[in-house]
Amino acid sequence: MNGKSETYVQLYRRALVPGQNGQLVPTEVALPVHEYLFANARDVDAPWQKDSIGLEFAAWGRYWPTASNLERPFDGDVQTANIRLEAGPAWARVGRQQIAGGAARYARFDGVTVGASHLGFFLEGYTGFTVLPRWNAQPGYHHLGSAEETLLIYQPAALNRGNHWLMGGRFGYQTPHVSGSVSVHNQQTAGGVDYRNLGLDVGAQPLKDASLGASALLELDSGRFANARLWFDATPHPLFDIGAEVLHSEPALLLSRQSVLSVFSTTGYDELGGTLTAKLLRWLRFDTNGYVEAYRDTGPGARGEAAARIALGSDYPTFLRVAYSRVIAPHNGYQALRVSFSRKLGQRLSSTLEAYGYFYDNPVASYKTSSVYAGTASYQVIDSLEVLWSASIAQSPYAASDAQTMLRASYHFDAPARPRQRW
Amino acid sequence: MKPRFQALLLWLAVALAALAACRSEAAPPRFPHQLHLASIACGVPGKPACLSCVSCHDVARHDSGQRMPGAALCARCHQDAHQVRAVLAVTPTRPSGEIAIDHDKHLAMPEIRGQCVPCHAGVVDAKRPPLPPMSQCFSCHEHAEQWSQGQCTPCHEPEKLRRTMPSTFLKHDTAFLRHHGSVMAERQQAQLCQSCHTQAQCQSCHDVTQDLTVEARRPEKLESGQVHRGDFMVRHAIEARSQPARCLSCHTVQGCDSCHAARGVSANVANPANPHPPEWVGANTSSSNFHGTSARRDIVACASCHEAGPATNCIRCHKVGAYGGNPHPRGWNSARGEDSEMCRYCHE
Repeated sequence: MNGKSETYVQLYRRALVPGQNGQLVPTEVALPVHEYLFANARDVDAPWQKDSIGLEFAAWGRYWPTASNLERPFDGDVQTANIRLEAGPAWARVGRQQIAGGAARYARFDGVTVGASHLGFFLEGYTGFTVLPRWNAQPGYHHLGSAEETLLIYQPAALNRGNHWLMGGRFGYQTPHVSGSVSVHNQQTAGGVDYRNLGLDVGAQPLKDASLGASALLELDSGRFANARLWFDATPHPLFDIGAEVLHSEPALLLSRQSVLSVFSTTGYDELGGTLTAKLLRWLRFDTNGYVEAYRDTGPGARGEAAARIALGSDYPTFLRVAYSRVIAPHNGYQALRVSFSRKLGQRLSSTLEAYGYFYDNPVASYKTSSVYAGTASYQVIDSLEVLWSASIAQSPYAASDAQTMLRASYHFDAPARPRQRW
Repeated sequence: MKPRFQALLLWLAVALAALAACRSEAAPPRFPHQLHLASIACGVPGKPACLSCVSCHDVARHDSGQRMPGAALCARCHQDAHQVRAVLAVTPTRPSGEIAIDHDKHLAMPEIRGQCVPCHAGVVDAKRPPLPPMSQCFSCHEHAEQWSQGQCTPCHEPEKLRRTMPSTFLKHDTAFLRHHGSVMAERQQAQLCQSCHTQAQCQSCHDVTQDLTVEARRPEKLESGQVHRGDFMVRHAIEARSQPARCLSCHTVQGCDSCHAARGVSANVANPANPHPPEWVGANTSSSNFHGTSARRDIVACASCHEAGPATNCIRCHKVGAYGGNPHPRGWNSARGEDSEMCRYCHE
């Protein structure tokens, strides 16, 4: 069994900028305290089989001690709470906020997943409720992925959770060198079908240092691919890693089937790109990547980054990375320069420094640049306890000056229930 | 801050960081193992008993920890307690955590014959690592199948492998982050990914219901691919336009709108601020009216403000009989009947 506790104390002053209709808004001093808890037990013996039960729990809580028009004094949620049981080739997991992958790659649910595997073949099925009201039934908080709903200025209609459910399954085959699966996913909402997709995922490692894969999400209502991706990774020489990727996406098909905008004419886009890593010296590495997007009706877009990474020392490692990025998008784009530096100052003391500069092609709120400077210092008090202090200052189109600081205490515990088998 | 001054600051940061990176590093002193093992007169009358590795390292009885000798043991010969403490303070880094190895069993093997140095060559050769690399283990142990499938247990404790990445087909560098979801999907997630990762680890990045973003919680992770680092608030509109629908992998369009509505930039608030440029939409023929082109390219961006069910203002012009024209693509067909709730928004 192992666990982790993380306590965060932040200090900053904030405002909703630019404010409704450009109005000046009052600022708030914020001093939120967050607590994150995680516990995990694995390989617990069950009466029917050894090492066949696993448990997992993760939750967060927040205390907002200062007066605020936007935040509640206390808030929190249980992110993960599940139990996993194994019996021979079969397994089941019951609990909160599960992910199923495949055609359900963007969905999570409270429910049950069952699966079994034999001779490399596997079969999985799942069902549950999509809608995840918070444990304390906070008003205005209904959907997973809608933390921002807490900012809503109007009270959304209460949802009947029984109308929001999903189910699906996956069948596949897996060996160390080839794997693939086909999956179906059906998700319902109050108005009817929310998503109904077919997922295809394949991967292969034809050579020791090369792998490729493909995935596709077919929207069954329209019979078109919401997105499809093909990728390839290889290490042709010990000094070089290369990767290539092609993506086709139709954004409208990723909207809910109950969205009226999902039936509007859209054109989709294609993206082609790749990565190259050159490990020229033991301490020097270059990382580059570049992607070009082609839209049917408008001009092309592009994004890329080139970075040099220096890593020196082993006992007291020092790390420096300088990266230049370029993004070209409709209406605006930017160039960015990022410098990251970290150094272990002693057996227990480490530090990082970062500087970001952004240079926008067109002004944002009349400003063409923004910059962020950030740093951390961490101290390992004992093996299981680390304290980190971080601070940042920034200047951006939305803030003439922005200063934030945070203190984090992380505590790990690891309690083997029985002596580890030694080899 | 003026751009020139800002650029100067940035380059100053680059120069300082480069200077610090190149600064010569004083390596911590290695314990003089060879001196203790081979250069001390011993084993004869009047001299102490000869030392072996296990004289100081109690590898057999201790089940965990660094198996380093305590100061009391050193104090039997060394009087300078301060120096002893300084020497003992330097311990080799274990990036992959403790290894579940039975030293007793290994030392008794005929191939090893009680010799520590063949594996721990670094203790007598300063050019070798102080702890044996994994290739040393693999020179005898054949775990090709586990290795290729990324199964690190039971030799490694998964929780201690935080900084250790697989280096075969599951290697987590190059573009792995971009398609890690596909990798998770194509293989039996229950066995492979979960041999190292827990669901909570997935949620730590993908669960946007939590109050603190992963960038805020992990500011020291300089190399992790956290997309929202730096000045993301200003960049987010550019990023969203650059890769339409990418945001949907974590966020909902309702999530976009709640934030926009709070700032008065949404079709769902009274008297909203209009973020669109002139001639974005217009009924007269002299208007450029280019909202349609943008909508066809990235309807998700439209939905981030205009997703309001029957109240969506797009319907006002584009419903049946209105002057906005048919918004469906050419050859549009749907399995749904016009009596479905959503279709009735326009097809009353």
